[in-house]
Amino acid sequence: MGQARLKFLGFAGVALMLLAACGSTGGGGGTPAKTYKIGLVTDIGGLNDKSFNHLADLGLEKAKTDFKIQGDVVESKSGDDYVPNLTNFASKNYDLVIGVGFLMQQAVGTVSGQFPNVHFSIIDGAGTDANGKDLQHPNVQSLFFKEQDAGAMVGVIAGMLEKQGKAKKNQHVISAVGGISIPPVDHYIAGYKWAATMEDPSIKVLVGYSNDFTDPAKCKNVASSQISAKSDILFQVAGGCGLGVLQAAGQASVYSIGVDADQKDADPSVIASALKKVDVATYTAIKNVVNGQFQGGALTFSVANDGAGYAVDNLQLPDDIKAELDKVQGQIKSGGLTPPSEKSW
Amino acid sequence: MGSRPGPRLPRALRRVAGGFAVPLGSVIFAFIVGALLVAVTGGDPFQAYSGLLCGGLGIACANGENSALQISTTIVYFTPLIMAGVAVALPFRAGLFNIGAEGQFLAGAVACTFIGVKFSNLPAPILLPLVLLGGILAGAIWAGIPGVLKATVGAHEVVTTIMLNYVAQWLIRYLIVGGPLQLPHGFSVSSPIGAGARLPSFLPNDNSLIIFGLPAGVYRVHTGLLIAIAALAVFAILLWRTSLGYEIRAVGQSQRAARYAGISVPRTIIVTMLISGAFAGLAGAIQIAGVDHNLTDKYFNDTTGFEAIAVALLGLGSAVGILLASILFGALHAGGAVMQQDAGISSSLVQVLQALILFSIAANFLRVLRFPAFGRRPSAPSPTAPAAALMTEAAKAPPEETQT
Repeated sequence: MGQARLKFLGFAGVALMLLAACGSTGGGGGTPAKTYKIGLVTDIGGLNDKSFNHLADLGLEKAKTDFKIQGDVVESKSGDDYVPNLTNFASKNYDLVIGVGFLMQQAVGTVSGQFPNVHFSIIDGAGTDANGKDLQHPNVQSLFFKEQDAGAMVGVIAGMLEKQGKAKKNQHVISAVGGISIPPVDHYIAGYKWAATMEDPSIKVLVGYSNDFTDPAKCKNVASSQISAKSDILFQVAGGCGLGVLQAAGQASVYSIGVDADQKDADPSVIASALKKVDVATYTAIKNVVNGQFQGGALTFSVANDGAGYAVDNLQLPDDIKAELDKVQGQIKSGGLTPPSEKSW
Repeated sequence: MGSRPGPRLPRALRRVAGGFAVPLGSVIFAFIVGALLVAVTGGDPFQAYSGLLCGGLGIACANGENSALQISTTIVYFTPLIMAGVAVALPFRAGLFNIGAEGQFLAGAVACTFIGVKFSNLPAPILLPLVLLGGILAGAIWAGIPGVLKATVGAHEVVTTIMLNYVAQWLIRYLIVGGPLQLPHGFSVSSPIGAGARLPSFLPNDNSLIIFGLPAGVYRVHTGLLIAIAALAVFAILLWRTSLGYEIRAVGQSQRAARYAGISVPRTIIVTMLISGAFAGLAGAIQIAGVDHNLTDKYFNDTTGFEAIAVALLGLGSAVGILLASILFGALHAGGAVMQQDAGISSSLVQVLQALILFSIAANFLRVLRFPAFGRRPSAPSPTAPAAALMTEAAKAPPEETQT
């Protein structure tokens, strides 16, 4: 019986020694040459979200091949992780810490205040306080997008198809399903509606919201009611929820349009996608830091600097539509056309 | 308890050691299998685990991590787990399986936010107790509903508590997406609670004050930790030093015997659930008052209440066990991120480890460890009855129907 006790004590002793031994190795380390250290923190979507996080990682990987940088990624498993993950990179004196997505606004606002010497970039957001007010820390750069540019490009496709009678029902009705009525979502829809009306003045654009960004079933409901209201081209602007829109369109044999990333493979009904080039934005932010050109405030990506655009997916577009797309894109680039961002529905 | 003749001093120690054998074995088992998984998928298990160790406990940090920061993060993570763990462990003792700690946690968070926003101008000495009490009350109500249903109509608490989790999740969604708590011009966040509703941190939120090489504000350890420890003490005293605790344990061991002894089984079930929900609700309130200061969309898919089930099982329903299990889970959570940064191994490994721990506890196949290593003990249900037995108990017919 006494033996068991001795064993236990021995165990504890060994464990303590191990702890002590490990602790003493902690202080070392240090980098000899200047390699820029870039940290990327994903939101809860994770790296395989086929959207923002994935694209941001692509941008980081591209930067890794072009510049002398050390790029590290950490995925956030829950909203609890944003602050610790950002703090981890910042406390290790990373040169740039990138937060993906507006969900991290408050966390970036907090951490950037604690580490004024570390640069932060945030996709689609700013560093804010708990009231959503931009703190305007000089070490925070917001990477914004002109969603209306991308929306306008797919709006051209939808409008031209309706005008030429090449859609499925030809009732001159198209629609958009938004997640929640927030600025990025409404910008997309504003551009879409504007361009479609420009191409086909008789068109009617239905807009609905699912009030959700994650549950496909909710978006499917909104999409179904739009389809029964004769819509035959549906633009999803609702992230993961919007996959339900693409599916509903596929089941009803009408067309759909994807958002943010190229959603060609999500459903055969996807004829095009409105793109927010998060990879370009991430790459640019890193490039600026490496070149010593980091600037606080907003950096906006649009059709003009190839930070927004479109992809043609599961449909062979007629040449005249392609020509029209090139024309409109050129005019937006040159400033001849300016898609609106204001909500008009 | 069963009094078997045996040498005195070693027996107390043996009880402790024997009690720790199964959970410790489960954790070791999980880490071995986890190491194999990492090795098979081309990673380096040693690097992975040293990342976990650094991230979780601030030990052996090789890549410039700040040990104090890591420990502080771990504490922030495990503070709510302690109280939520108690919320699961207490009903276990009464033979009830509370899967609704998550819903009760959320109810507490909602109540805390609601009060903290609506009365944001009140001073801290009034508002802070108010938000915490609000959380306690909301959690108690949320757990009391299944308790009353179980005690009166015999509705199974496993089903009703799970369902109420969804109700709480969707309630939050309603409240902060276009609902009454939404921040004006904000998106899926509530307004922040008033300054008086916030639990103070141990260190001032002052960025010019440098502690352990970092601004003091990064250490988010807050006084909720003290409340959690106090809650743990309350739990232990309630269970072992009060007649209510005795009744709870009696009902858990045998409802028939408890009834014969004059204990009201329905009353005990309701009271147990009310207290349990109070603990979970307090955890939710503390998370808002101490860390987040507003409801955000992270609460849509929060998992504190579910991790609490694992904590309660791993801790074998004892106060010390819950504390240790909470620390382990908090350390794993915090360690995952550092592991991914340093060793390039997905922090999802942490969830794999947690699942493996839970699996080996639930399957209970490590129970054999007890016998050879620490002397023979009869296999009669011990006070620290393992999960499987508790779940069987919980699955039994409701009390009223067995009464003649």
